[in-house]
Amino acid sequence: MHIPDGILPASIIVAGYATTGGVTWYSLRQIKRDKNPQENIPKASLLTAAFFVASWIHIPVPPVSVHLILNGLLGTILGYYALPAILIGLFFQAVMFQHGGLSTLGVNATMFGIPAIVAYHLFQLRHKVGKNNRVWTGVFAFLAGAGGLGVSVVIFFFLIVTNIPANIDAAVERNVIYGLVLAHIPLMFIEGAFTAAVALFLMRVKPELLKP
Amino acid sequence: MTHGLDAYAYLKSPIHRWEPRCKLIALLALIFAFAFVQQLILLPAMVLVTLSYYAISRLPGAFLLKRLRYPGFFLAAIAVLLPFNVGNIVIWQLGFLALRQEGLLALILIVTRFLCILTVGLILFGTAPFLTSIKAMRSLGLPSVLADMMLLSYRYIEQFGEDLARMQTAMRLRGFRANKFSRRNLTVLASLAGSLLVRSYEQSQQVYQAMILRGYGCVPSRRHQLFKIHASDLIGLLVTCVVALGFVVAEIILTNA
Repeated sequence: MHIPDGILPASIIVAGYATTGGVTWYSLRQIKRDKNPQENIPKASLLTAAFFVASWIHIPVPPVSVHLILNGLLGTILGYYALPAILIGLFFQAVMFQHGGLSTLGVNATMFGIPAIVAYHLFQLRHKVGKNNRVWTGVFAFLAGAGGLGVSVVIFFFLIVTNIPANIDAAVERNVIYGLVLAHIPLMFIEGAFTAAVALFLMRVKPELLKP
Repeated sequence: MTHGLDAYAYLKSPIHRWEPRCKLIALLALIFAFAFVQQLILLPAMVLVTLSYYAISRLPGAFLLKRLRYPGFFLAAIAVLLPFNVGNIVIWQLGFLALRQEGLLALILIVTRFLCILTVGLILFGTAPFLTSIKAMRSLGLPSVLADMMLLSYRYIEQFGEDLARMQTAMRLRGFRANKFSRRNLTVLASLAGSLLVRSYEQSQQVYQAMILRGYGCVPSRRHQLFKIHASDLIGLLVTCVVALGFVVAEIILTNA
């Protein structure tokens, strides 16, 4: 679901880098407010590498298998470190596997990064409910995982369909976007269920990982 | 690293010898200039410039072809979708299949830009050890948090990849077969991902202790001594920036003509 080089016009590419620059600046500012940001950097870095590798896990959905985006899960665990983590992960994917692109790095980072921050805040809402138990952790992790992917999917198809360099009727464009987003609802469900399962696993095995 | 991006970083060519910061600025300028191009008439020049840089870099052709395998799926998808679905002017028809002019031109533009940008990216990161490229980005002002995270993540990706492969082998040996979508399979795979995260978290605490013992955060930066710029590096930078600017100016002139 990464936008490759060559598809988007320069104006969107520049806007993508500008948005990513702004959100990264804000995230780094939040990170510097940590009690000990130096201690968190190795933690966030190794988790970034682990997330990068975890995205290679394929979920069987016969007749194919899908790999997950995990940006919602990244947000739930890394908080504001999710944005640098996503930026780095996308950069590695672009240069190591030619997945995504260098010119579209800003757009892709915005597309996955902002939903990850939204997912983080969604997951934090479980504290507002006042019941930090397994059920609410699972429910909010599901919402974070499904919501993180859902927002990314909407941004992805909006950018792709509206920026193909050929004239398409506006009504057709709108219907195509609706159709493609609706087709991804089962994947949002899988992503949400996987995020909830990982969050519940961590709650049982290493609960401090859920407290960024 | 097993992905072999910098497998040809040891070759000797003017691009390999190019000072990493100058190379980074110059080739990134070229990438953004290519992304700016919308006029089909500029595409042959773009291909020519890309091929020239690739030839100068002396990277083998097989290296580029091997790297095109994964993006090939993307190219195949748009080659099927665009020419037959986008546009009004039909230039060839066979039954329900209609080849449309606008879609075909859009395909040529997208594929050429894509291949040129990808090739320049490969020249940029394939002609120097990856760590040198990261250090160059750092000395050009990449925030230290990002640079440190990038270096550490890069260091551990391969190790965690091996950990994942080992855990998946162990799961298969214990009879786990993920051949259908079920709640149980999803929970098992989530536990696999969770185990990977827990392992990385525990290792990060040891890494932090080791980094503190080696003076992390206390040693003054010596980044300015890492690279030395020669006149030839600046000439390369200037020439590439002029070429990149040429594409932007030509695009603006042709658009307004």
